[in-house]
Amino acid sequence: MRHVSDEAPLAVIRALASLAALLVTTASHAAPDSDALVARLKRTAPASIAFVEVRFSTLLVEPLVVGGTLVYEGEGSLTRRVETPYREESAIRGETVRVERDGEEPRTFALRRAPELRGLLTGMIGLLAGDASFIGEHFAVTTSGDDQGWRLDLAPTDRRLEQRLSDIVVTGAAAEAECFVIRDGQGSASIMLLGAAAARSLPAPLALPELLAHCGAE
Amino acid sequence: MKRTAAALFLLAAWAGGLVALAVFVQRHLDIGSDLRLFLPEPRTPEQRILLDAIGEGPASRLLVVALEGAPPEALAVTSSALVEALRGSGEFRFAANGDVGLDSLPEELLPYRYLMSVDDETRALDRDRLRAALEARARDLASPGGFALEPLIARDPTLLTLALLERWQPVEEPRRELDVWFDAAGERALLVAETRAPAFDPAAQRAALAALDEAFAATRSAAGITFTASGAGSFSVLMEARTRNAAENLARLATIGMLLLLLTAYRRIGALILSALPLASAAVAGLAAVGALFGSVHGITLAFGFTLIGVAQDYPLHLLSHRRPGTPPASVARGLWPTLATGVASTCVAYLTFWFSGVTGLEQLACFTVTGLAVAALSSRYLLPRLMTEGSREHGRSPLLKRLWRAIASLPRPRWTVPVVVLACVGAVAVAPQPLWENDLGALTPVPGELLERDRALRAELGTADSRHLLVVEATSSDAALAALEALDPELERLVVAGAIGAYDHAARYVPSAAAQDARRSQLPSGDALRAELEAAASGTAFRPAAFAPFLADVEAARTLPPLTFEQARTLSAFGSRLDALVPERDSVVAALVTFSGVRDAAPLAALAAPGGQATLLDVRAASESLVEAQRARMLVSLAVGGLLLIAIVAVALRERRRVIRVLAPLALTTLIVVAALQLAGVSLNLFHLISLILAAGLGLDYALFFEHAADDEAEQGRTLHAVLTCAGSTLMVFVLLATADLPVLRAIGAPVAIGVVANFVLALLLTRPAAPRVAR
Repeated sequence: MRHVSDEAPLAVIRALASLAALLVTTASHAAPDSDALVARLKRTAPASIAFVEVRFSTLLVEPLVVGGTLVYEGEGSLTRRVETPYREESAIRGETVRVERDGEEPRTFALRRAPELRGLLTGMIGLLAGDASFIGEHFAVTTSGDDQGWRLDLAPTDRRLEQRLSDIVVTGAAAEAECFVIRDGQGSASIMLLGAAAARSLPAPLALPELLAHCGAE
Repeated sequence: MKRTAAALFLLAAWAGGLVALAVFVQRHLDIGSDLRLFLPEPRTPEQRILLDAIGEGPASRLLVVALEGAPPEALAVTSSALVEALRGSGEFRFAANGDVGLDSLPEELLPYRYLMSVDDETRALDRDRLRAALEARARDLASPGGFALEPLIARDPTLLTLALLERWQPVEEPRRELDVWFDAAGERALLVAETRAPAFDPAAQRAALAALDEAFAATRSAAGITFTASGAGSFSVLMEARTRNAAENLARLATIGMLLLLLTAYRRIGALILSALPLASAAVAGLAAVGALFGSVHGITLAFGFTLIGVAQDYPLHLLSHRRPGTPPASVARGLWPTLATGVASTCVAYLTFWFSGVTGLEQLACFTVTGLAVAALSSRYLLPRLMTEGSREHGRSPLLKRLWRAIASLPRPRWTVPVVVLACVGAVAVAPQPLWENDLGALTPVPGELLERDRALRAELGTADSRHLLVVEATSSDAALAALEALDPELERLVVAGAIGAYDHAARYVPSAAAQDARRSQLPSGDALRAELEAAASGTAFRPAAFAPFLADVEAARTLPPLTFEQARTLSAFGSRLDALVPERDSVVAALVTFSGVRDAAPLAALAAPGGQATLLDVRAASESLVEAQRARMLVSLAVGGLLLIAIVAVALRERRRVIRVLAPLALTTLIVVAALQLAGVSLNLFHLISLILAAGLGLDYALFFEHAADDEAEQGRTLHAVLTCAGSTLMVFVLLATADLPVLRAIGAPVAIGVVANFVLALLLTRPAAPRVAR
């Protein structure tokens, strides 16, 4: 495996650090009532939300599905607690991620190691905070839909970032973000369903196109 | 009186000769700065390893870089970018900031992981182990960071690569923030870079530092970030610049002072030019001799050499002071020659003993000073008088000097002061709390203490190994050394568990011996067997067995690989430089080191080195002190022999025992007084002080010889007083300037010589001057 060159994380950090701003501000433009959407997306810390994450990979015969709770503690602090089918806790504190799993030594790594994760997290934290002050320079943003079903498409414009992830899609309705989709363009994808979307049953058989359709992100 | 055409021709020829020699010197003489030239030949393996470390060793080429002035995120980003830039620069062999790139193992060597892996990682690649690995990888995939790990999983489902990379991290790691090294406070990002150039090559080090500056400017991610680089290389650049600055400033002041003093003494511009010629000749001839014999000259030789030949400045001054109307300069020179020659010959013989010291730098010093002094003396005797006109005034006849001489003549001749001074000095040395001699090799370095302290602190933050204790394993080949290191492992592990040591590091942690690699290879399953095990392991997991073709290919490749050799491993960026440090390159024998951190009890380490084993325990501090002691012992023996020869020559020249004692007493007492003064000031003596004492003794000998020579001729006494006053005044001025310098080295030379000049002058007047009744004639 090759890491992106050491300059790439720099670009990725800059790009993704602004994601929160993009999510919030662009969503507000896309929605018929943008100001109301931003205000309604905001959560007061601590806030928690159920999630189901479906992981597709070319290594896998069938996708991996985990479920649990996301806890937003404010100030860039987010805990992702996996409850099924095993227990695992990932704590994001500022720039470090600490993963603890039953029966294993906890592992810690820097967020810049995993720009995809960072994109997702800053996006979520930005949404949960309803508060962002960044301008995105590294994504081409297209918005569509309306208050009943909105969609943000974030395509990296930075070549190095593009090598790591092909796009991020966030879909939702009214005040609720429902799906975070992140794809690497080589067959791997992670789709995280949030809140009410996580409670609904998943399509069967569980395949990427069906799930994207399910999320309104096809 | 006008100078003759012949004199002018001689002057032109002399000046031309000097220029020609200077050009020769400039073309043929390199200035070196390897400190090892000033240390004796190593006698023990310990001293040899120590010298390697001082000179060319990787440790001496390692720069520690600290980044600060911005939040940790920005520092970490700059740190990574800087390391990348340094790796791309031709000036550095290696750069690291703790960030373990998975690409630090070259693609083509990846299959070797199955030969290099360790302990439980060598458990058979059976279905149980693979199933456990796949289950863990599935969770990794679904966890934050799964995307980052995904590309590795198909090739390395057991994540052996990561296990190896972790193993190759420094044993005692510095604090790690955002995947890069930080200091304990988390305020400075730390990285290390090893220059290709040796530490003691200021020009090449300057180029490396410039490359570092440039890389930093290009990678700085926030405006507030500043960096400091510390290490032997940066010191040599810094010290070269600082020494040159200080020397230039001092030289300017000294030149002005000298001009004023000589103008006051001789009232002639021509005298200034004449007085400069012998010293200039001494310097150029000395350099040319060193160039012809050695090809290069050490910077310290130059500094010491120029200090020591300073005594030659006095030779033309004696001639100028004794010049008088009615006596041709040639006969003045002839009259002075026995005295001058005694001084020069005895000083030269004393310096010549350095030639037999066995220390290259001192041999160069002997060559330089003896040639220089001989040339200065001979040119003062045979060339200078031909350029001089007969004096128009009698320097010794000034009313002021006459009064001064009368005052001196009426001084008591306090013989009793001699034992009192001796006792006081010995007492002072005895009660001074610090040791008489400085045994710390570090004290030889001219680098200011605060910089060394900062460097020590930075290296401590990096958690570099305890530098005092090393286990040295000698073997006939690198592979034999690796095997011997592996054999030590069980015992070393036991010491870690028992708490005697915190951790240890050696080359076999990075490259196993060929035998160990063969053993691991023989355990690897065949392609078909592994495929069957993998399929069995994957059933019941979400993984596609076919996705692991790269894994099967790597294991298959490892089954036919020849063992990774030590020489191949040396070239790897992940740990090549560590291997260089742990197995310093040597001609015939391979000496592999085991380094330790957190040594709480050195006794069991000594037991490891017990008879029968191939290992010896090296106590670096002891080795370094023994080296310094050996160096000093050689110098002191040289000096003792030189001193005896000096006494012999003076005795032969003066014949009478009373005269010999009168001449030698002041310089012996002065040496004692200077040592006592330094000891009272809390200073332990080092090489610089020793050289200064030698110069002071040389000066004192000349003062005493001339005072003694003045005998009972009043006019001669006046001229001698004039000459010695001028000599002592000019020397004192120069060395007082040095004593006020910022650089400790210059102070170490300036203070003892300045004290020595005063003491020698006063004692020569009190003890050597001719008997009073005859003066009062």
